[in-house]
Amino acid sequence: MNTSAQLLEYAVEGFFDEMFVEDGGLRARPHYQMIHDRLNRLTQEEIMERRQQADSSFLERGITFTVYGEEGGTERIFPFDLIPRVIPESEWRVVESGLKQRIIALNLFLNDVYHEGKIIKDGVVPEEVVRSSRHFRPDMSGFSVPREVYLHVCGTDLIRDDQGNYLVLEDNARCPSGASYLLENREIMKRAFPQTFGGMSVRPVEAYPDLLLRALEYLAPRDSQKPVCVLLSPGVYNSAYFEHTFLARQMGIEIVEGKDLICLDSRIFMRTTRGLVQVDVIYRRLDDDFLDPSFFRKDSLLGVPGLMNAYLSGNVSLANAVGTGVADDKVTYAYVPDMIRYYLNEDAILQNVPTYLCWRDADRSHVLENLEKLVVKAANESGGYGMLIGSDSTSEQRENFARLIRANPREYVAQPIVSLSRHPTFCQEGICGRHVDLRPFVLYGEDVEIVPGGLTRVALRQGSLVVNSSQGGGSKDTWVLKDF
Amino acid sequence: MLSRVADNLYWMARHIERAEGMSRMIQVRQGLALEYAHNEEQLELFWEPLLKALCAEWACESGEPAGRVVRNLIFSEAASGSIFSSISLARENARMVRDQLSEELWVELNNAYLFFRSGEAEDLYRQGSHQLLEKVIRFSLVFQGLSDAAIPHTEGWRFLSLGKYLERADLTCRMLNTLNLPAKRPTRADLMSVLRGCVALSAYREKFHGNLSLRNVAGFLLFSKSFPRSVRFCLEHTDRNLHAISEVPAGNFSNEAERLTGAALARVNFTDLDNVLEKGLGEILLELQSTLTKIGQEVFETYVLLPSEIKSLEKRLLVERQEQASQQQ
Repeated sequence: MNTSAQLLEYAVEGFFDEMFVEDGGLRARPHYQMIHDRLNRLTQEEIMERRQQADSSFLERGITFTVYGEEGGTERIFPFDLIPRVIPESEWRVVESGLKQRIIALNLFLNDVYHEGKIIKDGVVPEEVVRSSRHFRPDMSGFSVPREVYLHVCGTDLIRDDQGNYLVLEDNARCPSGASYLLENREIMKRAFPQTFGGMSVRPVEAYPDLLLRALEYLAPRDSQKPVCVLLSPGVYNSAYFEHTFLARQMGIEIVEGKDLICLDSRIFMRTTRGLVQVDVIYRRLDDDFLDPSFFRKDSLLGVPGLMNAYLSGNVSLANAVGTGVADDKVTYAYVPDMIRYYLNEDAILQNVPTYLCWRDADRSHVLENLEKLVVKAANESGGYGMLIGSDSTSEQRENFARLIRANPREYVAQPIVSLSRHPTFCQEGICGRHVDLRPFVLYGEDVEIVPGGLTRVALRQGSLVVNSSQGGGSKDTWVLKDF
Repeated sequence: MLSRVADNLYWMARHIERAEGMSRMIQVRQGLALEYAHNEEQLELFWEPLLKALCAEWACESGEPAGRVVRNLIFSEAASGSIFSSISLARENARMVRDQLSEELWVELNNAYLFFRSGEAEDLYRQGSHQLLEKVIRFSLVFQGLSDAAIPHTEGWRFLSLGKYLERADLTCRMLNTLNLPAKRPTRADLMSVLRGCVALSAYREKFHGNLSLRNVAGFLLFSKSFPRSVRFCLEHTDRNLHAISEVPAGNFSNEAERLTGAALARVNFTDLDNVLEKGLGEILLELQSTLTKIGQEVFETYVLLPSEIKSLEKRLLVERQEQASQQQ
C-alpha cells in the first residue's frame, strides 16, 4: 500500500493531531501542506531507501545509546521517524518566550534558595519542600556561582493537550541529554528530503554547539587566555557516551573522564601528553553525587577528588552548577508559576500540568482515591522510571504505588492524564497517529538562547504515552517555519 | 592529546602485536613438536624453553598434560598473555578511545573479539589449530595495514607505533632466548623455528644463502638494519616515534625514554657480534629486554603519569601562593 492510500485511512480519533484537523474530512494544517503533498507522492521504495539511509547514518556516526542489562551493553540506534514535526514561527515565538521566562525564574529561585531564601521567608515556597529535596545541596549555601547562572543547559519537556495548548511536563535541570539527536536528525532530514526542506524555510539548528561553547566560555574564571573547556563524561559504559563524544567533537573540546583530571592546590588540571593543562570550565555530564568522591559519594570512581574544593574556591566553573537538582524536583515544579509571579511579576506564559502534591493531606487522599485516573510520578526519577499511568495499570500496581505514596508522600506527585497530541508516524501497519512531546534545549550564557524547535520524541507503541528512549520511544526532526 | 588516550592506543597496539607473536611461536613450535616430541615427557621438555622465554609457565601447570599447552596459550581467559586475553585487552583499550579510531579499525578488532567470545574460535581450533592461528595473524596484519593507511599519522599514531615496535623488539628477544640453552647447542630445527617465528626465513636465506648457524641467526635478528623484526630496526623506529612525539631533534633527549632508547640503539649499532657470542647470547638479551621494559615504563611516566610535572607544578603553585600571601600582608 502506498503512502497516499495510507493517508486516506488515517484517523485522528479525537486527539489533537499535529498535522491534521478533522472537519467533515481530513485536512492538513496549512503549515503541514507541503509535507502532506510530499507524503502523497512518496512510494514504498522511497520510504525503504530513506529509512535505510537514516539508520546507517546513525550507526556510522556512532549516534547510538547503550541498552543496559545485556552482556557487555548493546548499542542501539534511537529509532527515527521520517515525518517531521512542524511548528509555525508564530506559535514558536510564544513557546520561546515562555521557556525564557521559565529558565530565568528557575535560575533566580536557585540563587535565592542558596542565599537569603526570600521566597521561603515570604511564604511562597515552603522551606520543607526545598530542604527535603533529594538534590538540595546545603554545601552550596552562600556560594556565589560564576555570573550568577546555575542552569546553563535546561531540557524542558513540553506536551500539548487535547486543545493544542503547550504545557510544561517537567524541567530537566541536571544533565539533560538528547541534543545530539536534535542535530543529527536535522542532517538526515536535509539529505532525505532536500527539496521539501528547502521549500519550507526551516529555521536552522546547527548553531547549538557554538552557542553551548559560548555559554561555557562565559563562565571561565581566568580571563587571561582562551578558556580551556572540557566535557566530563562518566565514560564509555554510560548510555549517553556517544552524545558526549558527539558534542565534544562538535565544540572542539576534549572529552575527559574523572581520571584524566587532577586537583592540585584547588585547581583542576588535565593530563595530556604535553603535560598538565589547567581547566577553566567543565561541562559535566555526571550527576552531583559522582563529581567528587572526597565530597559526595565516597564509592564513586567516576569523579575527581578535590573538584568541589576547586569549584568552591572559584578556580573552575561547572555547568550546570552543583545543586540544580532542587529545580527539577517534581514537587518544586508545581511552584514554578508562583516563582514566575514572585520574581518577575508576570504570569506564566507556559502553563503547568495541574499537580497534586502527595505530602499535602488533601491532595494525598484525592490521589489515593483516584489512582486510576491519574499519572503518579516519583519526584526525583527521570527517564520514565518510577511512574504509574493509572488508566493503564493493574490493581496490583496501583496497590503498590498506594503503599509507596503512604510510606513517602514527599517523594510522589500526581497529575491528571493529559491526552498528548499525536503525530502521523510510520508504523508497521502504515501511517498512524502516535503521541509526541517536545524537548527544547534552553541555554543560559550571557543571554538565554534556544535553537528553534527541539527534540520531538514519539511513543512508537500504539496508545503509549511514554516517549523516553529507554521505554521504546523514538524521535523526529522538528521544523520551525519562518514564514508561518 | 589526553594522556589516557595515548596510553590506550599504545597498549592496543602492544596487545595485538603480542597476539600475533604468540600465534607465530605456537605455530612454529607445534610443527616441530610433531617431529621431535613423541611422548608426554619429551613434549614437556620440548615446550619448556619456549614457555620460559614467554614467561608463560602457567600454560603447563603441574599435573596437566603437556598436550593442553597449546590450548591454554590460545584460550586461557585468566592468564594475561594468552591470545584471547591479548585480543580482549586490545578491544578494551580500543573501546576507551573508540571515537579516535577509524570505524574500520574498530569493526575489525571487535570482530576478532567476537570470534573468540562466540565460540567460533573453539570450533575452528577443533578442526586444527593451524587455521585458527593463521586467522589471528591475518587479523593482526589487517589491523596494522589499517592503522597505517586509515588514520592520520599524528601523535596518536605515533603512540600506536611505539607500542607495536617495543612489543615486537621484546618478542624477537624472547624468540632468541629459546636458543640460549645452558646445556645444549641449538639444533638446526631450533634455529629454523626461531627464524620462522620471526617471519625471517626467506629474508635470512636471501642474505646467507641457507648457511644456517647460531652466529648468523643471532646477528640477523639482533642487528639487521633493514629487517622489520630485528631488534635494531625496532629500536630505530621506537627512537623515531619518541622524537616525533616530543619534537626534540634526534640525537638529543628530553626524557628518560628517549635517553634509554638512544643508548640502546647506540649499543646495537656498535656491538661486535663475536664479542656478544663469546659472552653468551643470554647476556645481551637480558640487557636488551630489561632496557625495553624500562623504556615502556618511562613512556608511561613521561606521558601518562606525569609525576615530575605534577611535582614541579605543585612547587610553583606553592611559591605563587606564598607570594600572594606576603603581598596581602
